Order: sequence, then C-alpha cells, then structure tokens
Amino acid sequence: MLASIVNPLILGISIGSILLISALGLAVIYGAAGVINMAHGEFIMLGAYSTYTLQSTMGMPFLLCIPCAFFIVGIIGFVIERNLICYLYNRPLDTLLATWGVSLVLMQSSRLIFGSDVKYIAMPEFLSTNLELGILNFSTFRLFLIAVALILLFITWFIFYRTRLGIKIRAVTQNKEMAASFGINAAQVYSITFAFGAGLAGAAGAMFGALSIVLPTMGMHYVVEAFLMVVTGGGSILGTVFASTLAGEIQSIFAFIFNDTMARGLLFILIVVLLRFRPQGLLSTGSGRR
Amino acid sequence: MFLKLDSISSYYGNTKILREVSFEVPEGSCLCVLGRNGVGKTTLLKTIMGLMDKTTGRIELHGNDINSKRTDERAKFGIGYIPQGRQILSKFTVRENIMLGTFARKDVVKEVPEICVDLFPYLKDNLDRKAGLLSGGQQQQLAIARALAVDPQILLLDEPTEGIQPNIVTEIGETLQMLNKKLGITVILTEQHIKMARKLGDNFIMMDNGKIEASGPIMELTDEVVEKHMTV
Repeated sequence: MLASIVNPLILGISIGSILLISALGLAVIYGAAGVINMAHGEFIMLGAYSTYTLQSTMGMPFLLCIPCAFFIVGIIGFVIERNLICYLYNRPLDTLLATWGVSLVLMQSSRLIFGSDVKYIAMPEFLSTNLELGILNFSTFRLFLIAVALILLFITWFIFYRTRLGIKIRAVTQNKEMAASFGINAAQVYSITFAFGAGLAGAAGAMFGALSIVLPTMGMHYVVEAFLMVVTGGGSILGTVFASTLAGEIQSIFAFIFNDTMARGLLFILIVVLLRFRPQGLLSTGSGRR
Repeated sequence: MFLKLDSISSYYGNTKILREVSFEVPEGSCLCVLGRNGVGKTTLLKTIMGLMDKTTGRIELHGNDINSKRTDERAKFGIGYIPQGRQILSKFTVRENIMLGTFARKDVVKEVPEICVDLFPYLKDNLDRKAGLLSGGQQQQLAIARALAVDPQILLLDEPTEGIQPNIVTEIGETLQMLNKKLGITVILTEQHIKMARKLGDNFIMMDNGKIEASGPIMELTDEVVEKHMTV
C-alpha cells in the first residue's frame, strides 16, 4: 500500500527532472537575454548526436559524453549568437523567426549528416538496473536523471549567484544601460549566457538520447514541454524549477490513477486553465524587462 | 584640459537634442549644468556616457577621444555616473549594487571598497538588504557609493538632490564638496537648486533648447542670468 503511493511520487520527481533538464537552458536564455529560442529543441538534438558520435567513433564512456555534449553545443550556440542573434536583441519577433530558421537548418543538416534512421546511445551497465530498497523499487536511470537535474541546477545557481560573471549577467538583465555604465560589456555577457543555455540543452540531449532514441526530429518533442515549463513558471529559473517539479508530480499521479496518455492530456488542460487565470505564470516578479 | 567637448550634437533616434555643445572642464573642478526641465541637461550627461542613439563631435577625456568608444569602455576611463532617478538595481542587495561599480575598475576587488561605506554609515550596516527597499535618500547615497566604487576621476551627477528630504540634501551636498575639494575628483553636476550650485560649483553652464546660452565662473551666475534662463 505504502509502496504504491511512494513509487508514483518518486516517479513524479524523475518526470519533473526530465522536464527541468529540458527547460533549464531555455529558461536561462529567456530569463537573462530575453531571447525566445525556437532552436532549443535542436540544441537538445545536437547534444544527443554529439553523444552518439563520441560514443560510436571514439568509444567515449557515457558519463564523459555529458560534459562533452555541453561544451560542443555551447560552442555551436556561441557561434550562432555571435553571427545572428546578437544583431536581433530588442526585436523579439525577429529573434523568434530567426531561431526558428536556425532550428530548421540544424534539423536538416543533421538529417544530411546522420541520415533519418534511428540511432541509439549505449548506457553503462549500472544505469540499466533496478534498485530495490525494501518496499520501494525504481530504475537507477531515473535516479540518475534526478541527480543530473540537481547538478545542472546547482551549476546554474552557482554561476548566477556566486561568481562575478553571475553579477554581470543579473545586472545586464535588470538594467542594460546601468550595467554598461559600470564597465560591463553587455554584448559579451549575452554571448556567454546564450552559449551556457545552449550547453545546458546539449547536456539534456545526451541524457534524452540515452533515455529514448536519437532522431533529427527529436527536439520538437522536448521543446514544447520546455516552453510550457518556462511559461508556466513565469519565465524565471526558479519558476521553471517549481513548474517542472509540480508538473512531474501531477503527471505521475494522474498516470497512476488513469494512464499515461490521459495524464499528459490532463496536465496540458491544467496548464491552459492556470494560464487563463494567471497569465504571468506561477512565480512572477511582476516587473517588465528592460 | 581634463574633459573637453567639441561641437557635440546628439540624437534620440533622428531627433537632435544637443546642438553643437562645446565646453571644457579643468581637472579637479566642479561644473554645474543649469537650466529648466527638458533643455538637455540629462542628455548632456548621457552623451558623455555614450548612452545616446547617435553622437557627433569630439569628447576628449585626458587626451583620449572617447566618443568612438562603447559605454562600458568609457566607464573604464574612470567615470562614475549617478543617473537621474538613481537607477539602483532593485533586485540586488546594497553590497551587489556597490560591487557593480567595481567592474569599471582596472584592478579586481573582492570586497566593497572602504570609501563607499565609510561615507555612508547606513549602507555599511545594511549591506545585505535588498536595494529596492531603501528610501529615496538612501538610494541616492547608494548611487553615489556605487559610482565611488569605480575609483572615479570624474563624477557625473544628474540632479542628485531631486525628490530628497532637506536634511539629506545638505548631507549629500557636504559629501560632494568633500569628494571634489579634498579628494580632487572632478565633478559635473546638473542642478535645479541655485543655492546648491553656488555652494558647490566652480563654473557653470546655462542650457536652453539643447544649446549653451551662458557660461563662466560661478561668480558670474547672477540673479539676472538665473532670471532670464530659469524662470518659467
């Protein structure tokens, strides 16, 4: 009896951590730079293909692939920001279209390079086992997802709140002119932030490629949920964490009562209803940007 | 000459706000910029900081032409800016606001510079308070502390006494006098209060409609000049 209550709750946290991993990079880029990045799903896809390539050509162990995917996609993000996005700040509609274009280009390029057949990422043995603790039973990969979500969240928190770069990022977010008036190069801060957000998506891709399959179109699946979490949370990183955990739990509980499809449907309906009455999201700072 | 503006015009979009403004500020002096509301005083300071859409002409600081530089590069020449409305970052703590100023320094400092808190005991006791919770006068002190964290050679102050209770106005006036006369920091100050201008200033410029209408040593700021250019 107890197990049938606790197991769905743990499952909920792991669903929540998947949602968080997929949304974190998007929240960083939107929250700090104000860019709605439609190519976020493709950054996730690139992370998955990076992992696949590193694994199949060099035999790199999976755990090492995650930080590598972070850096590879981070660098790709940096190049895209320097050559395209940096000309479009303060023009949200144009960035929306431009990043959508980027997403199409990335998707087709990976189709040309890797083909449109399904690829798989091999997981280390210890992640494909089940763990039994008394009455509780869960897969180690689920636990691993939760751990990765917490690590990525900690790294993000540390950079934002414990480093000089973090003060710079938060200063530029609050008041770009004032930040510049005190010697902060806003363009540089935006580039680094965008690269960091892209890197987070890359790490997410490594995880999701292993969790399910690697396909050129896989990004579309994750980007919708990522956007929902950021919007439901109110656009901030903390809000995204909150929304992801809550949504994960709700989905898991509904799935326990009904079934998976029903649970996702009900969750989406709940989000729509929530946004109808609280369009600013769960946690909102209430202040306009810039 | 420390700071020199040579036929500076500046624009919001395509609208010309400053019209061929030229003046010089000797090192260690205090220049008061006077005039009615909307004549371009704030624009003048923003122009020096590089915050306008377009600026033509030459701005020389210590012999460097800074008009081609970005705002963040200008700040690193040692300009401490105290903008209109103070523009404290309200989500930051007092400490973080002051640390923001240190990004324009040449050296890297990890702690809040002493001068910033020594001058303002209230800030010293409330370093971890959210800056948005401070009163207007306290925010103005914080804005000055933030600019001092730059280790500035010149301070640009945009109406530092606007909307502040009288006893703090006197205090801020004394602080500015000390910074200017004792520490030798050059000051450019826009002001509505003539009394304050006469007390602090070495020189003045009187602006109207984006141009300099009168200028000279503060002694020449007679009541007639004030009457002519500042009464509504």
